[in-house]
Amino acid sequence: MAYDGRMNFSRKIALFADLHSNLEAFEACYQHALEHGVGEFVFLGDLVGYNADPVAVLNRIMDLVAKGSAYAILGNHDEAIFKDHSTQMNAHAWQAIQWTRSQVNADHVEFLKNLPLIHQAEDVTYVHASAAKPEKWPYLDSGLAAWHCAEAAQTTYTFVGHVHEATVYYQSTVGKLMRFQPHAGEAVPMSRHRRWVSVAGSLGQPRDGIPQAAYAIFEPEEEQTTFFRIPYDHYRSADKVMRAGLPQALANRLLTGQ
Amino acid sequence: MSQELQSVAELFQAGNEIDGFRIGEEVHRGGMAVLFEAYKEGVDYPLLMKVPRIGRDQPVESLIGFETELILMKAIKSPFVPRVAGTGNMGRKPYIAMEKISGQSLQDLLEVQNGRIDSIDDVVQIAANLALAIASLHAQDVIHLDLKPENILLGPNHQVYLIDFGLAHHTRYPDLLAEEMRKGVGSAPYISPEQVMGIRNDWRSDIYSLGAIMYEMLTGEFPFGNPSSLSGLRKRMWSQAIPPRVLRKEIPAWLQELVLRCLEPYAADRYQSATRIRQLLKSPESITITARGENLLPPSLWENIKLWFKAAGYEPSSCPKPSSAQDNAPLIVAAIDTRSHDEVLRERMQQTAKDLLYAYPESRLICLSSITGTPTFEGDDEADTATGIVRGHLVQLMDWAKPLKLSSERVSYHVLEALDPAARIVEFANDNHAAMILIGASHKIPNKVAPWRTSMTKIVEEAHCSVHIVRA
Repeated sequence: MAYDGRMNFSRKIALFADLHSNLEAFEACYQHALEHGVGEFVFLGDLVGYNADPVAVLNRIMDLVAKGSAYAILGNHDEAIFKDHSTQMNAHAWQAIQWTRSQVNADHVEFLKNLPLIHQAEDVTYVHASAAKPEKWPYLDSGLAAWHCAEAAQTTYTFVGHVHEATVYYQSTVGKLMRFQPHAGEAVPMSRHRRWVSVAGSLGQPRDGIPQAAYAIFEPEEEQTTFFRIPYDHYRSADKVMRAGLPQALANRLLTGQ
Repeated sequence: MSQELQSVAELFQAGNEIDGFRIGEEVHRGGMAVLFEAYKEGVDYPLLMKVPRIGRDQPVESLIGFETELILMKAIKSPFVPRVAGTGNMGRKPYIAMEKISGQSLQDLLEVQNGRIDSIDDVVQIAANLALAIASLHAQDVIHLDLKPENILLGPNHQVYLIDFGLAHHTRYPDLLAEEMRKGVGSAPYISPEQVMGIRNDWRSDIYSLGAIMYEMLTGEFPFGNPSSLSGLRKRMWSQAIPPRVLRKEIPAWLQELVLRCLEPYAADRYQSATRIRQLLKSPESITITARGENLLPPSLWENIKLWFKAAGYEPSSCPKPSSAQDNAPLIVAAIDTRSHDEVLRERMQQTAKDLLYAYPESRLICLSSITGTPTFEGDDEADTATGIVRGHLVQLMDWAKPLKLSSERVSYHVLEALDPAARIVEFANDNHAAMILIGASHKIPNKVAPWRTSMTKIVEEAHCSVHIVRA
């Protein structure tokens, strides 16, 4: 929705999901969020995996969390750093996890181990996969899955990642959750008398064919969420993936956005 | 919840103040909402405050409709929709403070004139303005879905304002009404067959409603009555309306052609854009009149039976985004220098125009020529008079377009009078929402001819649409 001319000091919370060790995408989105007046960050899990900058990305996040301006949630790739996920991941993903394990230090691992699966504040739930059985990492890919999530969360708003494409599920009066594909840069009004489950979109590994980083800004007082697509130097990130000796296919994913 | 809802009625009472809006007298109490006069310091136009009716007997759709209207009116930017001065939170104090349009509704006008508009010219003018207003919504990916005479306000000179967006659809916002609505919600005389089926995302539904409104303005009748049952509503999926000229002889054939085409049961058979309908209403000579337009007899029983069988398996047409109507029916403006004698360039431009028109079956071409001015003192020869000069240019333009072999529906010719041709061409293209300006650049014009070069730069810089420069 267009800016309506009113002075606006309301809270803005940036939602970063599925960052996957992509430093260039992180910096581009972080800058963009600051320019848009964001004061709080929520990292919706999968901070690491796939790409080449786990140390730099984790340092940035740990720094923000320590300062008290950010909150971070555990994702399945983060858990894989200290738990065996070899049977639940594809070969490339697991290969990247093993490489990431060789890069991070004990502090990083300790930080990841202490991340919560789910975080609830006021009438908002933050979780990586779904509020329904979050430890099983289910994919929120249908109105029914979103309904299970909203029922388990029992909050007005739920924000998730895990699925890489930004999506909004909204409650109809019959209770059913309907799916909506948000348009980049256009605020989606989210009135409090309904339940909303939003997938923020992947910051570090977009998969909809557009090689731009995705993230969202939630404005609780304005009752709206805006989903953004941010161009970043994805050639550089892809190049780093190659240099790190990670699978070529992972570099290609960044280049093609698939 | 009911505690909170009760308070809404107490909140909105004459004399109260909300967000700086002083609430005045109640001016209207409808089935779904109440309207108050309102005032706010710093707002220099008259205001209305619309508040939903909340209570035990209110249907839930009315509240969702209000929420839809609140979201959409904030988003719509159109000179044909009342401005919004402020809105309140849906949960706590739902209101929309909007510009109060002075003037009567089309419904009032119809009632005053005993159900139909006396002057056919007035009908054409109102319809053309209505088409323009609808086009401005579609260009923003908004579909009104409840166009009817009550929701159309008329200002001076038949200026049109659209109100009541409670059933509208916006591609960029979650559709709160999807699935909630029972099939066929809307106003029975005006809703399209696909709306009867429960489809809410086809902009051509508005084109159908425009057709039904034109039909009513012309004849005082509804094309398919005012049915109250679903089977009655389904009649429009197969049956043919009585041709308007059967009911009123002086309706021209072209207008009947246009109205009936808007009322085609399949969205794909209607005109595909409101812009196009406006153009045709403004230049009816370019309408190709078929048997549909000429017909002076009501459909026979046999014809209706055939149509009924055909429609037994009615499948609504598939539909892309509303704003793509503009893209699929592009208007191409060819700026033609009638003085140029560069044959190669002429042929290249003709070929380019031909290719573009071939690619978009609903596209139209306007051939433009500009002249610096017509003489104030006219000579005796026809060629020296203002009309003579313009006609001379028109003949040359028609000559230019001849090899393209276009039907009169797809091409028109304009001679613009302007001291600054580039500015005038850009203005014309912008006014007509052209998709592209086609201009030729000849190498035969020596570089020192600066004015032509600067005017081309100006067109490229200032046009809102694409500019295609053809090189010879």
